[in-house]
Amino acid sequence: MKQLYIDIGSTYFKVCEAGNIEQHFRNFERNIFDDLRSKCGETIARYAPEAIQICSSANGGLSTLIIGRTYTFSLKYATNIAYNSGINIIDSVLYSKIEQHTPPLGMIDVVIIAGGIDDSANSYDMRLIDYLKKVRYHNIVYAGSAAAAEFMTTHIENVRVMQNIISDKLQLRDEALKNYLTHLYQEDIMGKEEIKSLYALTANHIYPTPYIVNQAMQRIPEYFPVVDPFILVDIGGATTDIHYSRDLIMDNLVSENPYDRLVFKKLGVYKSRENLVFTARNNEYVYELLAYLGVTENILDEKSDKATRILMQLSIFLVLYKVSLHHNRYVNLYLEKLNSIVLTGGITKVLSLEECEQIVGFFYKKLLHFHQIPTIIMDSDYMIWTMSMKESSHVG
Amino acid sequence: MMKVVTGVVGNDIHVVANRLIDISLQERGFEVFNLGVNTYLEEFIDAVIETDAKVLLISSLNGEAEGWCRDLSLLKSQYELEGVVFMIGGNLSVGEDNPDVIIPKFKRYGFDLVFHQSDLGIGLDTLEAYLKEHV
Repeated sequence: MKQLYIDIGSTYFKVCEAGNIEQHFRNFERNIFDDLRSKCGETIARYAPEAIQICSSANGGLSTLIIGRTYTFSLKYATNIAYNSGINIIDSVLYSKIEQHTPPLGMIDVVIIAGGIDDSANSYDMRLIDYLKKVRYHNIVYAGSAAAAEFMTTHIENVRVMQNIISDKLQLRDEALKNYLTHLYQEDIMGKEEIKSLYALTANHIYPTPYIVNQAMQRIPEYFPVVDPFILVDIGGATTDIHYSRDLIMDNLVSENPYDRLVFKKLGVYKSRENLVFTARNNEYVYELLAYLGVTENILDEKSDKATRILMQLSIFLVLYKVSLHHNRYVNLYLEKLNSIVLTGGITKVLSLEECEQIVGFFYKKLLHFHQIPTIIMDSDYMIWTMSMKESSHVG
Repeated sequence: MMKVVTGVVGNDIHVVANRLIDISLQERGFEVFNLGVNTYLEEFIDAVIETDAKVLLISSLNGEAEGWCRDLSLLKSQYELEGVVFMIGGNLSVGEDNPDVIIPKFKRYGFDLVFHQSDLGIGLDTLEAYLKEHV
């Protein structure tokens, strides 16, 4: 059966039919369903709902608070699973220091509690319950020792108990929590009225785009001249996703998928433009970088095409910076070992290869003191997304 | 079954000794969590917490333990590790050194049982006797 693939981005729709991709700028005056129907109605009408596959990155991810017993196991494993499910970590709490920890002020989408192998009984006590009373959250999940599950269900209302993420051999067991978080993301998408209406067009699940792309990472070397270890950076209008080879991190995590991913929720060049500018202004290298690009900081306040190009270059720099050893908030990748960078998303339609090499060159020279940079590959035709959608529809 | 966390501390890849300790512990009826070679002290402590192990048995063959285990008391003070037996054995100094100097040094670090250039069997016999008496 021929399939129609649709990606609902925050700025563009992409529709792929028989290998041909159309891209449509979204009309923000209309809701997504009406806008999509008006632009691609004839195409969509030719396909049965079973043959239409939709993914969306317009949602932008969920926030989480993780509580674990150790940095080496429970916190590390839960953080890894959360990132791979499109979740943004708000905070993590080491249980032994929970009484000194200030709870986050905002509403948390999901609180994750982990810790202990299944027969470890001394995991949590009333200090956890006292702390949780000060946290505002929508969902709470316990993925720790089975021996403590009863304590959780007794004291925490609506807690969802699932398989422990730590195996009896202290290894990562990510399936249950990953599925839960991915579905939570999906439910969050469905909960948004605009995306929910798209279920009128398809009989299939609407998956998050970063999830779909990550599933196809192992096949990218078949289509592009990339050499492992490599990263894939998808810079869009609202979010930026980075997918990276596990060879670039030092964690001893054993898992089936050798590629992890991380979603930066508010790092985009259109819908999250203000946040991107704010992040850029607060970066210690940005003024030197702007001088290197031959512009002044006033460019950040402009709305011209040139300003957008500069912002796109800045976003590449900021992604590399955020995952480098210079920044500890997210993962730390050993970018010195990197052989290839694959760029995809909206920026590949705007920036030239030379402009991308220019900015990556600045990063490598300034921060890593390297004079050579990894090979940059531009996925200008959204081939990776198309391949990912095909893969996922076969699996589904 | 009593749980034991074991492994080789620091930049030390003496995997054969590590495997022998693992097998010997299992034969004596312990449940073993072997973290392998090149393990940080923090990882040992974290494994003890996650497993509720009653024994931490660190081995070191190239003398690196002297530097890597200095913070044991500090780490013990940050977690609730009451009742856990801390044991270390192997070649605990670089080159030849007097056991009368080395053993008290590691006890000051926070280890309950210290074995410098001793036979593995003797070390494990002593551990079992210690557990009978103290746990």
